[in-house]
Amino acid sequence: MIRAAIGVLAVLSAPALLGAGGAPQAGTAAAGWRTFAGTWSARGPRQTLPTGAGHSAAIVHLSGAVVLATKDLGGGMLGEAIAFDDGQNLSVGRAVWTDARGDHIFSELKGEPVATGRRVVGTITGGSGQYAGVTGDYSLTWQYVAQDLDDVVQGRAVDLRGRLRKGTP
Amino acid sequence: MAPAMITAVILVTWFVPPPEGLTIQAWRLFALFAGAIVFVVANALPILTASVIAVAAAVLSGLLSPAKAYAGFANGTILLIVLAFLVARSVVKCGLGARIGHLLVSRFGRSTLGLSYSIFLVDGLIAPAFPSNTARSGVIFPLAFSLADAAGAKPGDDSRRRLGSFLMFSGIVSLSLSSALWLTAMAANPMGAEIAKRFGVEIGFGSWLLAASVPTIAGIVLMPLVLYRIISPELTSTPEAPAAARLALARLGPLRRDEIVVLVAFAGMVSLWASAASLGLDSTAVAFLGLGGLLASGVLTLEDIRHEGDVLATFIWFAVLFTLSSQLNELGFMGFLGQRLAEAMGGLSPVVAGFALLAAYVLLHYVFVSQTAHLLALFGVFLDVGVKLGVPAAPLAFQLLFATNYFAAITPQGSSANLLFAGSGFLSQRDLYRLGAVSTACTMLIYLVVGTPWLRFVLR
Repeated sequence: MIRAAIGVLAVLSAPALLGAGGAPQAGTAAAGWRTFAGTWSARGPRQTLPTGAGHSAAIVHLSGAVVLATKDLGGGMLGEAIAFDDGQNLSVGRAVWTDARGDHIFSELKGEPVATGRRVVGTITGGSGQYAGVTGDYSLTWQYVAQDLDDVVQGRAVDLRGRLRKGTP
Repeated sequence: MAPAMITAVILVTWFVPPPEGLTIQAWRLFALFAGAIVFVVANALPILTASVIAVAAAVLSGLLSPAKAYAGFANGTILLIVLAFLVARSVVKCGLGARIGHLLVSRFGRSTLGLSYSIFLVDGLIAPAFPSNTARSGVIFPLAFSLADAAGAKPGDDSRRRLGSFLMFSGIVSLSLSSALWLTAMAANPMGAEIAKRFGVEIGFGSWLLAASVPTIAGIVLMPLVLYRIISPELTSTPEAPAAARLALARLGPLRRDEIVVLVAFAGMVSLWASAASLGLDSTAVAFLGLGGLLASGVLTLEDIRHEGDVLATFIWFAVLFTLSSQLNELGFMGFLGQRLAEAMGGLSPVVAGFALLAAYVLLHYVFVSQTAHLLALFGVFLDVGVKLGVPAAPLAFQLLFATNYFAAITPQGSSANLLFAGSGFLSQRDLYRLGAVSTACTMLIYLVVGTPWLRFVLR
């Protein structure tokens, strides 16, 4: 039984299956735009500071899998973000996505607080390696954000949709 | 599997390029983590050895920064386990454990099976007041250990080792089932209910209890029998035991000073743990207070603490595995694997997809060292994919939430609530993984066979 369970896990974790998305492939958009869509499951520490009237400002450092349903940017990336959330109506931050080769996409984040149902918009400002010089934008909505007992939050963003291309927007 | 072969597989995995969508760090950390677990399951290395080698490799190769790699050593829940070990020692040392053991044997001790049912019964009744199943394990473990002691099972003595194993693993399975019975019996349950709300599934205290009642009670009735058949304790029928226990109780006489101190300390800790959520108290601080009281009263001494080497070993290996698993999550491995696995079930019929999602969700607990982390990383993903494949949201949500509790038994590190029993001296690593796999499979079967029609009935 144990061997069978490990065998199943080993098979499941094999690169071939991991790489097989099974998701629909979006077409490449006009004017050199490459579109992408997917989800982002992220986890990380949140430090808070009560700012009165029941509000708390927070610094959130999230990290997790950006899983893309489209193939233009590969199957997915590691998504990391650090953001300041004023606890009322604004969050700003920076995000770095890293692919399997170690190439990065950099973006600026702006939107609503990091909380369930809230929306964030990202502006892609550049990258490294194969993404050097890219620009673009994307948005996502937090399907849920929950805090565990150790001031660590975990959330899942859905409706992650965006586009990018080489050169200025 | 030979250690050389396991090492070779780890090395090959290390140098294979990661699957598209994962970073090299996530892939290599997975190779180390999975390699450590395989070493333990194959009985090639003790869990402490495999864990410390894995974390050393992760830091020295630059995969993890030292600050991240050692973060588990400052985790409150892991500290709570260490403290619960020490507090449990006082129950045994002062003789209160033997008294409780004799008392329970006098009521339930006509058979070994009856002792197991007494553990499930006590745990099931106190569970709704304990949002931390780790804290609850600090109450159930001394009870199970005292029962084993009263039945003549001692760690290191092979004559009744299987009896001790049976009662210890009864404690592990009992905690997993009692957590599934009540919304408030495990910290992650309310979080899961909150996420389920995003999919239109409203879960409250009453609706959880109603949905969980029949399959969980079936589990509580059947699982002691299953463990009894698998473990085959040396002692089965003991019709004379209740009378002998009553005699032993009479010989013990009234409570002694140390027993009263431990009883008061324990009652205080249980009361504070039970009200920790409503009073905003930290469960670990409550355990520190209890340990402080026991040390100050002289019931526990520094000499006693010095002899608890097993506690240090448990603290180290669990903190290491906890950290490696958390970092795998933050490096995107868990989210990526869960999402891809769930998506791979596209095209299956809703019924088959529902079962396949549940099975995959349970099996993935092999790579998690926390029930809460597993739920937060994958519950929403699996529910989302299931709903898109046409699986009804409410039954799937309940089945996944119940699984979040019962899969705790699948590995010794599957829940911090297992650690006291795993470190009892009655269960070998091989026992823990073998019994964990079999008992989790049986529990899943019970929840599927009994729970599926029951959920269809109550969710109409």
